[in-house]
Amino acid sequence: MTEQKRFEEIVEHLVELKDTSELMLDLAYTSLMLDSKELAEEVHRLEENMDQLHTSFELLALTSDFKKEEAPGFLGLIRIGVATEKIADAAAEMAEVVLRGIEPHPVLKLAIKAAEETVAQACVSEGSPLVGKTLKEARVHEETGMWVQVIKRGEKTLRPKADSRIQNGDVLIASGYANGVESFRKLASPEQICEIE
Amino acid sequence: MPHFEKIEYKPIPVRELLLEMKNLSELMIDLAYSAALYNDKELAEDVIELETRVDTLAYLLDMEIMVAARDAKDAEALIGVSIVAAATDKISDAAADIAAIVTNNIGVHPIVSTIFEKVEERISKAIVKEGSVIAGKKIGTLDLAARMGVDIIAIRRNKEWIINPEDKERLLHGDVLITRGAPQGIKDFRDLVEGTLAQLEG
Repeated sequence: MTEQKRFEEIVEHLVELKDTSELMLDLAYTSLMLDSKELAEEVHRLEENMDQLHTSFELLALTSDFKKEEAPGFLGLIRIGVATEKIADAAAEMAEVVLRGIEPHPVLKLAIKAAEETVAQACVSEGSPLVGKTLKEARVHEETGMWVQVIKRGEKTLRPKADSRIQNGDVLIASGYANGVESFRKLASPEQICEIE
Repeated sequence: MPHFEKIEYKPIPVRELLLEMKNLSELMIDLAYSAALYNDKELAEDVIELETRVDTLAYLLDMEIMVAARDAKDAEALIGVSIVAAATDKISDAAADIAAIVTNNIGVHPIVSTIFEKVEERISKAIVKEGSVIAGKKIGTLDLAARMGVDIIAIRRNKEWIINPEDKERLLHGDVLITRGAPQGIKDFRDLVEGTLAQLEG
């Protein structure tokens, strides 16, 4: 096995830990701003993923058969993993404020300082112009005024990146102005609005 | 023993304190990963310095909340603010933990950064040299995102940090710019900032 190969899987896990923790943070702030239980619950679901992911990352690192002189480099990796978990915990604590029904203080909205008003979900159906496009190409914000916050694909919850490619069947969660919701849903499923369980 | 600053109550709006804590904690995460992946000691030290700043802000914010709460109703309204502030403090601690990997000479296996670079955008630092074409220019006029796919996420000017600088912010000789972007864009940007590129192209 080449050295690169040996590390690929570990790094893949680490990137997923990093992305998940940052996604949780984004969602936690948005959930506070919009007083959205829906997003706060998403943060808590991600926290559960995070725990599993972190365990498998640590096991992978510990069983990767490293040489003695490589031990510090692996310790460094493991410590980054622990930090992602700490960030995820912090996000979950923020989301908990919303889940406990504490009405977010106006000062929180001022500090989070985004202009969004609402959260909406839409599923991407065949025939949508979004299918097969990257988020950058899809220009959802330009078309609808909504920002895609989460892409849900089967069991997976993905953090949207400029080069994330949208697939038929994806569920998009977006935040933005209330008057953008309808055009957002139409863009995702032009024929009929599909049901989201 | 590090020096612990004595913190006295100052009347600063909660909004300002919280906004700064949020911004700093987010910037620190970006800087910390970058410091660890590219074994950048200087950047790691920046993170650790910012962590003490966040600690100070946390004290000030707690005091502010205590002063503001006059009855049970106030306390219920303010508890969320206190929890969110504590969470940003925890995030900045996590970032400092990552930075400590570098300052404690543990390091991260070098192959990791090679793989990481393929999937994640890179954070980098550049100092505006005297005579650089961007010295004295406003960020908005540089059109960096369109030109090279690069964003300036923070500026360190002497001891001050300007986070998410606005388009109207003017770049000065000596500014340390923290940027985010793809590796090629970052490289082009650094050439521009450090004055080896004579003019803005394209």
